[in-house]
Amino acid sequence: MENNTLNNKFSGASRYVLDDELASIVNVSMALEMPLLLKGEPGTGKTMLAHAIAESLNMPLIVLNVKSSMKLVDALYQYDTLTRLNDSRFGDSNRDVSNIEDYIKMGKIGQAFTSESRNVLLIDEIDKADTDFQDDMLDVLDQMEFDIIEIDKTITARFRPVIVITSNAKKDLSDPFLGRCNFHHIAFPDSEMMRKIIQVHFPDINSNLMESAVYTFYELRKIDAIEKKPATRELINWIRALKTDPDFSPDLLANGNIPFLGVLFKKSQDYKRAMGSTNRGGLF
Amino acid sequence: MFIDFFYQLKTVGIPVSPTSFLTLQKALDMGLINSIDAFYTSARAILIKSERYFDVYDQVFAHRFQDAEMPEYEDLELDEVTRALLEGWLEDPVSLAAALEMDESDIIDLTPEELIEYFKKRLEDQKGRHEGGRTWIGTGGTSPVGHSGYHPEGMRVGGVSRNKSAVKVAMERRYKDYSRRGLLTQDMMGEALKRLRNMVPVGPKDRVNIDETIYQTMRNGGEIEIVFSRRLKDRIKVILAIDNGGWSMDQYIPVVQTLFDYARDQFKDLKTFFFHNTVYDFLWEDPARIKQPFKVEDFISFDPQTRLIMVGDGSMAPYELMAADGSIHVEERSGKPSIEQLKFLARTFPHCVWMNPVFSQIWSQTPTINTIQQIFPMFELTLDGLEGAVNHLMVK
Repeated sequence: MENNTLNNKFSGASRYVLDDELASIVNVSMALEMPLLLKGEPGTGKTMLAHAIAESLNMPLIVLNVKSSMKLVDALYQYDTLTRLNDSRFGDSNRDVSNIEDYIKMGKIGQAFTSESRNVLLIDEIDKADTDFQDDMLDVLDQMEFDIIEIDKTITARFRPVIVITSNAKKDLSDPFLGRCNFHHIAFPDSEMMRKIIQVHFPDINSNLMESAVYTFYELRKIDAIEKKPATRELINWIRALKTDPDFSPDLLANGNIPFLGVLFKKSQDYKRAMGSTNRGGLF
Repeated sequence: MFIDFFYQLKTVGIPVSPTSFLTLQKALDMGLINSIDAFYTSARAILIKSERYFDVYDQVFAHRFQDAEMPEYEDLELDEVTRALLEGWLEDPVSLAAALEMDESDIIDLTPEELIEYFKKRLEDQKGRHEGGRTWIGTGGTSPVGHSGYHPEGMRVGGVSRNKSAVKVAMERRYKDYSRRGLLTQDMMGEALKRLRNMVPVGPKDRVNIDETIYQTMRNGGEIEIVFSRRLKDRIKVILAIDNGGWSMDQYIPVVQTLFDYARDQFKDLKTFFFHNTVYDFLWEDPARIKQPFKVEDFISFDPQTRLIMVGDGSMAPYELMAADGSIHVEERSGKPSIEQLKFLARTFPHCVWMNPVFSQIWSQTPTINTIQQIFPMFELTLDGLEGAVNHLMVK
């Protein structure tokens, strides 16, 4: 594992606007070879960050989408017993039934360890899995190796992957797990940052539309007692929707006439509340 | 280097581990950190593992590197209220003065500092005069000062700041709303709901999982291995009983109600009742506590597995709780002291909690809170408290 991270710094990607704070945290984590744990409101670009790192450092990205029922071994490798049984009965494949290794398939972490080059490993929404999963994963990420018990073989990472872990904090992560990660909470971008983000996604957007959309968006976020406030992702989709609507003009927003509210508010109670606030005209 | 900084973090209650401190030293040695701004972000990423401590970290950082004042924890609640009063004053001095029953001209000439002192003094006076309930600040949310915990600007986590020194950023306290020290506000709704989502029951492991059984049997080389998984269980029922008498509770009632209203789908049944200070013969289904009384003894007819959540500050005169005719309302004097009624409820519903918007540090100062604590497991009305309460309610 050669240490080329120091001169190989991350500084943003074509579709991702990076703030200085986050950039320095990413770089410190890569230099310390520690996983980076990201939390933040949904839709603030936690997952996008891993994509951006992979793009800017020119490394392949491997995504492990954690599911609630997942066990760690599923992420490491899988022993395909059914195929082996089938082969032993019908014997019509090229695999050697007596060689169990032929029936081992690598999971996402396994792929990251055995890959030919250094890569970015994104472990997405780790909080979905139970604490056993997290605790088991610690050793694997610490030692950068795991055992395949069926064939008594140890897989060691050829290149230490850049590891990004995201969490929506549905459950708290265990302390030993947190101890081995660096942590960052992505704060919601301010309107200046938001304009940059939109510029990146819609290079040809007219400034009138952008100004009124961003203004309306931040006003909408101020509505009280909303369960899921609209985030960057919703704003981008909303602008996309506004741009396709031929009848739309930015002046409408200024009058409190807001189309496609459903793109921004996705829970029915939130939607009703937002409708109520905008119709009353109390918003502006 | 920075050892005292590390210990300061520890003293204020952030769980910082020596290992992570060594990691920070390693980062310093490697030359990764070469400015105070970089130190601020890197030290936070390495040492602090949860956004709920970011606010305290900001304060310690500002204290350590800028000699900013460390606020005293106990004063926190009062300061919030005072600040809200001050804001209310600036917006609309006349109606605020009316709400406080004081003469506007008396205070119009005061400097801001004097004004704050004045408000503080009024508030201290008020703490002793809680009983009457409806005469002081916050007559059901109509007065400008009733909602002291409410910030009209919405979630106060600012965006990302550039062109500012780390100390300035730290002093902005951008992560205030994630701090667990504060009581629940509308802005914490999303966070609070996540805690509440854990209120789903789990059944025993007694259903055969066919897929897993086949897989494990194959692995065993044909030796049958039966795997069980959890049975699905019916959703739970919840009774929410809220103390809606008195200004001290006003700001929390909408928060609690909205919270459970949003989570309604996950419960099989959600009933809301109201009471004033404590429970006597009746609980009411209407917030005004007039039209729909519900006899406490009739609660016996509910499913005992129902989760009972009491919300109240539990602060009152001791006789209201203990005396046989303790109720401040004449019509409910059946002869049973309130404490017996509370015990009856706690017996009827083994899964019960009391959520209290008073900070737990000062519970011991109020005798009635102590008494209620012996009957109901009590939790603060904060994110942490909610988490504890949910865990307690879900214990078998």
